[in-house]
Amino acid sequence: MSYELNYTIGSIPLEKLKPKKVRKNIELTLWERLYIPEIVRGMIITTRHFVQNMAGFIFPPNGKKRRVFTVYYPEEKLTIPIAYRGRPVLVMREDGTERCVACGLCESICPAFAISIVGGERRRENEMERYPVTYTLDMSRCVYCGFCEEVCPKEAIAMSDEYEELAERDRNRMIYPKEKLLVSEKRLKNRIDYVRKIYSKNNYNAK
Amino acid sequence: MLAELIETIAKIMFIFGVNMGFFTPILGWVERKQSAVMQDRVGANRADIFGFRVIGLLHILADAIKVLTKEDFVPAGANKFFHTLAPFISLTPALVTFAVIPFGGQYEIFGHKVNLVIADLDIGILFIFAFASLATYGTVLAGWSSNNNWSFLGGMRASAQMLSYEVAMGLSIIGVIMVYSSLKLTEIGAMQAEFFRWGIFLQPVGFILFLTCAIAENKRAPFDIPEAESEIVAGYFTEYSSMKFVMFWMGEFLEIVTISGIITTLFFGAWHIPFVSNEMLLSIFGFAGPDGANILTMLINIATFFVKIIFFIWLQMTIRWTLPRFRYDQIMKLGWKILLPLALINIFITGLVLLVK
Repeated sequence: MSYELNYTIGSIPLEKLKPKKVRKNIELTLWERLYIPEIVRGMIITTRHFVQNMAGFIFPPNGKKRRVFTVYYPEEKLTIPIAYRGRPVLVMREDGTERCVACGLCESICPAFAISIVGGERRRENEMERYPVTYTLDMSRCVYCGFCEEVCPKEAIAMSDEYEELAERDRNRMIYPKEKLLVSEKRLKNRIDYVRKIYSKNNYNAK
Repeated sequence: MLAELIETIAKIMFIFGVNMGFFTPILGWVERKQSAVMQDRVGANRADIFGFRVIGLLHILADAIKVLTKEDFVPAGANKFFHTLAPFISLTPALVTFAVIPFGGQYEIFGHKVNLVIADLDIGILFIFAFASLATYGTVLAGWSSNNNWSFLGGMRASAQMLSYEVAMGLSIIGVIMVYSSLKLTEIGAMQAEFFRWGIFLQPVGFILFLTCAIAENKRAPFDIPEAESEIVAGYFTEYSSMKFVMFWMGEFLEIVTISGIITTLFFGAWHIPFVSNEMLLSIFGFAGPDGANILTMLINIATFFVKIIFFIWLQMTIRWTLPRFRYDQIMKLGWKILLPLALINIFITGLVLLVK
């Protein structure tokens, strides 16, 4: 079997990506059994890290605060990737009503039985539409799986990027009513676009 | 008479203040911070007073408050007397051994001869070994009196390890004593005025053996099987809390300082600066008059000594955070089958060289 090795992975040429040789024999060489040289080698490595990091603390490299990549959490925060599944929220239209039609798909798919919906009907722009009278999400049961978001035909529920202040000392306060779940469309636009892409939802929504 | 009394008290206050007031608290911070920097982390930096964090130094204060207000717990079935006595026994030797380590030479100040060592004993180094072995009792008592299987295992391991390494440590120093033909640490220090007469050039093997054995005596990684967290909880101090627990740590930190002091005195020219003799310093400081020159030289020498100590503390911390723990049988094998024969061979070769010269 022959094929040409002319492609690369990233910018690294393939020749350099060859696996390193693994030493299968556990017998140590004489040099290693002398012990002191290998200890010195190890200490040179840790000392190099020590010196580099100390220099990085005192004279930070360009555009960074320090050489170490630690994030000081409450003061500094990572930018959450779009695929992150945070607190599930209901999408709110610009006029303050919810997109949800209370079909109950999320309620039945939810593996943790965290969602409970009571549906109803109302008049909006001279049309009758279904809407959730109550939409209760028990955050003490939610497992952040994102099934509700995947199954929703109306893109009415989405996993937001909020992950803070979800813990409570009282279980009753972890039961979120509809009012606490509503988040405006604009803030969730990126996530909804992303969901459309990964679950191929535009196949259903194509006009 | 009065001047000597004042001098002695001043020296004791100085050493006690430096050890208990500076090194012991700061080493807790150094251990956290240095390990963090070595491992690409940031380290403890959360304790603050009105928002000022001072690179984590306030954790010392927070720790002190926490430790002092914690419950002092003695487990049921423990021997209360020995349980309380053990931390004191392991702390005291670490404090006492610094008495014979000279932190400077001899100076004439205002017609009074100042010798910068608390107790200038003729048997200096033997005194250190005698007291360092007492620390074994503290560890063994702590392990035995806690009425806990983990503590007992830790105590047994500690006794075996410390007794084994005591032998090799004693023999590793014999070479130095033969070369300088003195047990007095002030004399050994004074004889290293010339750079190429430093102990490290005359006894390189002795230095490595002593450093290894000293770390093993101090029960720090890679020789920390008496406390091995992953095997026997916390070893001999599993059942200790609050101030007693901290006393073990203080003893350990003080021993680091003491080991650094011994290494500096025996192998790294004590208070001497390489290529700069005290006569040169005295002539440089001639402008301050004879007394002023002596005082300035003394201060420079003390500073040199403590800079060297700080370097060796750093070295020991680096070793502790670089090397993984040895297995129990490996420690025994290293102590009896490698270090002891090496020490004996070192003594033999030193003797031969001295004989030929």
